Amino acid sequence: MNKDWSGPLVDSIGDYAIFMLDPEGNIRSWNSGAERLGQHRRDEAIGRHLAALHPPEDVAAGKPGRLLSAAARDGRIEDEGWRVRKDGSRFWAGVLITAARDPGGRLIGFSIVIRDLGEHRLASEDLHRSEERFRRLVESVKDYAIFMLDPNGFIQTWNDGARRIKQYEASEAIGRHMSIFYPPADAAAGKPERLLARAVVDGRVEDEGWRVRKDGSRFWADVVITALRDSQGRLVGFAKVTRDLTERKQAEDERLRLAQAEEALRLRDEFLSIASHELKTPLTAMQLQMQAARRGLEGTPGHRLDRALRSAERLSQLIETLLDVSRIVSGHLSLKPETADLRDLAQEVVDRMTPSATHAGVPLSLSLNGPLPGRWDPLRMSQVLTNLVSNAIKYGQGSPVEVALRRVRGQARLEVMDGGPGIPPEDLERIFGRFERAVSARNYGGLGLGLYISRQIVEAHGGRIHAENRPDGGARFVVELPLLVAATSEAGELH
Amino acid sequence: MRQVLVIEDDEEIRESLVETLHDNGHPAVGAANGKAGLELLARADLPCLILLDLMMPVMDGHEFRAAQLKNPQLASVPVVVLSAHRDLDNEARKLGASAWMQKPLKLDELLEAVKRYCVD
Repeated sequence: MNKDWSGPLVDSIGDYAIFMLDPEGNIRSWNSGAERLGQHRRDEAIGRHLAALHPPEDVAAGKPGRLLSAAARDGRIEDEGWRVRKDGSRFWAGVLITAARDPGGRLIGFSIVIRDLGEHRLASEDLHRSEERFRRLVESVKDYAIFMLDPNGFIQTWNDGARRIKQYEASEAIGRHMSIFYPPADAAAGKPERLLARAVVDGRVEDEGWRVRKDGSRFWADVVITALRDSQGRLVGFAKVTRDLTERKQAEDERLRLAQAEEALRLRDEFLSIASHELKTPLTAMQLQMQAARRGLEGTPGHRLDRALRSAERLSQLIETLLDVSRIVSGHLSLKPETADLRDLAQEVVDRMTPSATHAGVPLSLSLNGPLPGRWDPLRMSQVLTNLVSNAIKYGQGSPVEVALRRVRGQARLEVMDGGPGIPPEDLERIFGRFERAVSARNYGGLGLGLYISRQIVEAHGGRIHAENRPDGGARFVVELPLLVAATSEAGELH
Repeated sequence: MRQVLVIEDDEEIRESLVETLHDNGHPAVGAANGKAGLELLARADLPCLILLDLMMPVMDGHEFRAAQLKNPQLASVPVVVLSAHRDLDNEARKLGASAWMQKPLKLDELLEAVKRYCVD
């Protein structure tokens, strides 16, 4: 026993096991602290190998020999781990092994200091358990892909969310580079590396864009990459959190598409309004000149000028129709209701249209039944009736056109009927839409707006309009109007 | 016979009106906007009637009408509003106009109106 090493001082230190080994690892000294910690009495300990203090699995793995070799090589080594008492129980130990050399540098043994770290161990186990809980939490998150990258962007961990969003199993993803999630063009352009570089500089980086799943399909991702540093500020890797925002992106795209479509419609309607005003101006001058010229020919037949005037009038009506549409879509269709009998209005329209019906070889008849007083915009209601009658003349293929008015269940009911081919059932509702028609525009002229405008006018009067096919053939358009419409504005003569 | 003043920015319409009125026995003079109309009124005899367009550059029909009503000498000259505006009667009422006519104009109605104000 070397008196230099087992003096009273060392002997009296109870909290530390302090002893000496020979170069082969056999115990050569043993202090009272060692007796207390290891439970071996001095005479039991001396001569035994250091391995007597290690758990069997460490001994089997050659740990004691490795520690000594490392200490011999490096001068000293620290270790923290399980050690075994004489009764087989274990304690968590902090171990310092220092190589002892003679002045010639020859290894003469090792000094060992062991401390029971019981309480430290509990604290570090708590930490370990807390880390473990956190790890399980992260692993079980399904809505977010959360994983770690090494400083070069290679995947180190994987969670359920990553598996769900990116479709790779942990075994397929770990060890691969993050660029596998990027569309080839982005990967080729160095986007993944750029993001990492920015995270290194700024601490974190956020990106929204397309990413690629294992099966090659794309998803719209929100990605946050955070640089991870150790206590000395050295980059140890990155934490990457990815959310799949594809559904939100699709909803946003859809909203955007709708907004663009609405804007396009608005622009079209605005254009319609401006264009019709612009068209009206030269037409006004033209009609004035033609009317003046026709007036100069008072008493002569003037057929050509009359035709030209009629054409100008038709042009004027078409422009008015376009203006009506722009008024309707911009909500500016206003009524000027007056108290009138619908029969008078119908009579006026039928009288006015009889010449053109006769010209087309179409018998036009009107049947009236009882008074139908109400408040309507006379110009607008005439417009509806004119539209229905001219449609009947146009599409009825020469069959008689009948206009009938009567009171039904407290409402005015106006019917315009023809004996033509009728309307395909699937078109009965569609024809009231904008720019819709039941027949091809090639065969019949017109803008396809008449019924649309008629429906708007009728509904603005609080009424309804629909089309049906008569059991005995032909089409029937039915307008139902309340007999008393509240006045929305007063109309009157100014002079 | 007193003149009709036509205030209308579209040259074709303005000249058509002036010519047609002239051909039908009513001397007329044109102005391209409200400001030109006021200038004419300042240096010529008062017209029997003003035919007034609403939408014009420089000075529109509303501004002209406001200026006209502020001048006691001009305020009593009757005004007939001409416009493609669909809600013209309301506009005309707001302006305190004597009458209104929708564009495109019906010549017969126009001549009828001129006769009413300009033939004693």
